[in-house]
Amino acid sequence: MSAGEVVLITGASGCGKSTLALALCGLIPSRVHGELRGSVRFEDRSLRELAPHEASQLVGMVFQNPNLQLINQTVQSEVAFGPENLALPQPEIAARVQWCLDVTGMAKMRHAAVVSLSGGEKQRTAIAATLAMRPRILVLDEPLSDLDPVGAQEVLATLQHLARESGTGIVVIEHRVDEVAPWADRVVLMSGGKIIGDRPPREAWEDQAPWLATGVGIPDMVRLSHALPDVFGGRVALSVEEAVSSLAETWFVPALAGAAGDVPMPDGAGDQLAGTGGGTPPVLSWDGVSVDFDGKLAVDDVTLSIAEGEWVTLVGANGSGKSTLTGLTVGLGKPSSGTVRFRGKPVRPGRIFEQSAHTALLLQAADEMLFAETVLGELEFGTRFRALPPDPVLDVEGAIDFFGFRGLEQTSPWELSQGGRQRLALAAILVGAPGVLVLDEPTTGQDADHKRAFLHLLDRVRERTGLTVVTVTHDIRTVASRASRVILLGEGRVRLDGPASAIFARTGELETWGVLAPPLARLQADLLGSGQSRVLLDVDSLLAAVTAGAARSGAS
Amino acid sequence: MQSLFARTVISYLMVFAVPMILPVAFVKLVGLGGLRDLVTYEARDTPLHKLDPRLKVLYPVGMGILSIILSWNFMLIVFALSVLPWIWLRPSRQKIRVLMVMVIGPALTGFWSQGLYYLPNPPIHFLYKFPWTISWLGSPGITTFGMVFGLQQTARVLVTVSTSMLVLVSTDVGDFTWAFERFRAPPQVGFALTAALRFLPDMISRTTLVLRAVELRGYDLSRPRWFQVARWPDYVRRVCRCVVIITVPLLVGTLRGTTTMAMVADARGFGAKKRRGSLIEHHTTAVDIWGYAILVALVVTAVVLNHFHIGARVYG
Repeated sequence: MSAGEVVLITGASGCGKSTLALALCGLIPSRVHGELRGSVRFEDRSLRELAPHEASQLVGMVFQNPNLQLINQTVQSEVAFGPENLALPQPEIAARVQWCLDVTGMAKMRHAAVVSLSGGEKQRTAIAATLAMRPRILVLDEPLSDLDPVGAQEVLATLQHLARESGTGIVVIEHRVDEVAPWADRVVLMSGGKIIGDRPPREAWEDQAPWLATGVGIPDMVRLSHALPDVFGGRVALSVEEAVSSLAETWFVPALAGAAGDVPMPDGAGDQLAGTGGGTPPVLSWDGVSVDFDGKLAVDDVTLSIAEGEWVTLVGANGSGKSTLTGLTVGLGKPSSGTVRFRGKPVRPGRIFEQSAHTALLLQAADEMLFAETVLGELEFGTRFRALPPDPVLDVEGAIDFFGFRGLEQTSPWELSQGGRQRLALAAILVGAPGVLVLDEPTTGQDADHKRAFLHLLDRVRERTGLTVVTVTHDIRTVASRASRVILLGEGRVRLDGPASAIFARTGELETWGVLAPPLARLQADLLGSGQSRVLLDVDSLLAAVTAGAARSGAS
Repeated sequence: MQSLFARTVISYLMVFAVPMILPVAFVKLVGLGGLRDLVTYEARDTPLHKLDPRLKVLYPVGMGILSIILSWNFMLIVFALSVLPWIWLRPSRQKIRVLMVMVIGPALTGFWSQGLYYLPNPPIHFLYKFPWTISWLGSPGITTFGMVFGLQQTARVLVTVSTSMLVLVSTDVGDFTWAFERFRAPPQVGFALTAALRFLPDMISRTTLVLRAVELRGYDLSRPRWFQVARWPDYVRRVCRCVVIITVPLLVGTLRGTTTMAMVADARGFGAKKRRGSLIEHHTTAVDIWGYAILVALVVTAVVLNHFHIGARVYG
């Protein structure tokens, strides 16, 4: 790595990315057990021969979970912790703290308590605290995992600013390739503990085979560039802006305009955006619901209904009220006004046990939902305390087969992979066949292949059980785009409600409320203007529609 | 009211009322979330916040010494002195509510338990004498002497509790670490305190999350109403069993957390030097000097008076 270089390291879950990061920082084998062969060198020094505090002044690491790496109570004391440990003189500590807070945009919050920070602010504080050691290389392990898309862009801009202004080398380990690639100078692909690709981002996907083999997603703009080499002039676009500048004066725009009328709309969805819920009686409804936390409104007068069999996704910036609103459906929290109903019956706040028979909630931290010693014990857990309905759609045996746990019944849940544990937690809450499944950030920290597998599993569950599904997610591209209905929350209120193709056409309004529409939606909005009522959300459909539009308009 | 039955009912109520009320009061008024608030620092611009952290560390120690060596009458003055700074601090309502429960709870427990079980030399003056139907439990009745004794012991403990809480609420952990450094204590002492105070609220949040998760998995933790007496034993059984169930995820999560924290501390150079630097330099002000003077004067006066058997506790 050179000074000021930004390197993206990606690969499937378990391919060795985080282990490589620990080795880069000199924490293997000194702090993490393992045998290290070869060496990591900074200039002419081997990191292995340095004490951790010496190594960390050369290569600093921001760990995956910001919550676990913030040791002090306030932002300022957290950032000062490293320089204080080095016994630097007070003016030097003060100067470092000021610089780190300025560069990460946390200066205004220097006296804030760590516990009061949002996920993005915690991440920025962790970066500032690591920077205070003045490392020449900064390694970040999944820095975007808890951030909404706008927050993620802010952090990435901060990192690039650091690289350009101070010459700090940046290593970002991340699954969200499409968001990081435009900011990177190099893209490294790992598989089975080896580096199988290391190229500048515009050349990284020239050979798509290893990307497809490892199951790591290819950014939409890259796919589009490869599908239309003539239009892009052989150049690979990494960002929406680059794609727009390549496509703006070409046949693509009239063809896209011609194809706009072909965008299919889901049943019952018109041009007008409204809480549809279909014609059937709602399975879940919120009637004038507000939730107040110490005088601050987290949910503000929300009236919504969700019909049987719908797949609804709630999107919004961090702190927009998504998790609070869905938590009410199982009795988590108490509305300060209004009523939440399940099939017409009010949900009683605090009666989580009662409500969990009807509404299954999979927490983001799925590991926290595993309590038994074996896979079988986990699936039987709920049935030990509550009788199954007489004709359950999914019983324990059915769940073992359906979720692929046959032969693993006596295995400890902690011996399964992270994806396996999440699948087990989902299976366990579905035994007993609830009517509604609520998923809070179900794909956080998963690679594209695992996301696809999880969503495929969800499709199968819906097919088999007819479940109503409510997801809360920042993963606009993969999860939100597949839902039959998308609801945008902003500052605790419903701001938009309708089919995904219509909601993601409102790129400006989404951005106002801290949500970035999927890259393809932004591309269409930028090329055709923001007045589009609908957008296409996957590359194949877009290419097919544009080809048809081009044929119709006679362009080539 | 003089019948054996009526006296038995009254006696059982007296014996079991407090142990039944206290947990309910704790759950209703404090809960796990409230416990989290108990040890969190409240950033405010009060004179107490600006005091020299060393003085604030010494304050509970000094008051603790007074509470141990002084007799009951003098203890009342010490107790009043320990409460006064709270008016100066003006904590949030939430904090006051939690503190009141945490103060009144032990006070009530001490008052009640000593009243029941601390027996002076005969003749004993009973406030209420228990019939044989309950005295087999070990207490012949509630004595005035025992209650007063309980109150005295509780007040002694509360002086230390109140002063420690006051310091926790008004002092950033970084300032504690600075104070320990100046007292030449090893940096590990400050770090241990920092980590405990930072992660205790997180631990409580995680426990709350796991308790919710266990209910989401179909485990019944719903509390019966107070009059559903027959359902309470089953509820207690379920709660006890739940402790076992949630231990594994809590333990796994905590171990993972501590591993990361240890690596972070290493990476940030903790232990690299014998002495640490400090971002904040506290300069002793006139208020600090007054504070030190008052605290030293109080302790020295108490020790001297004690030597001359004035205000000293009577043993034996």
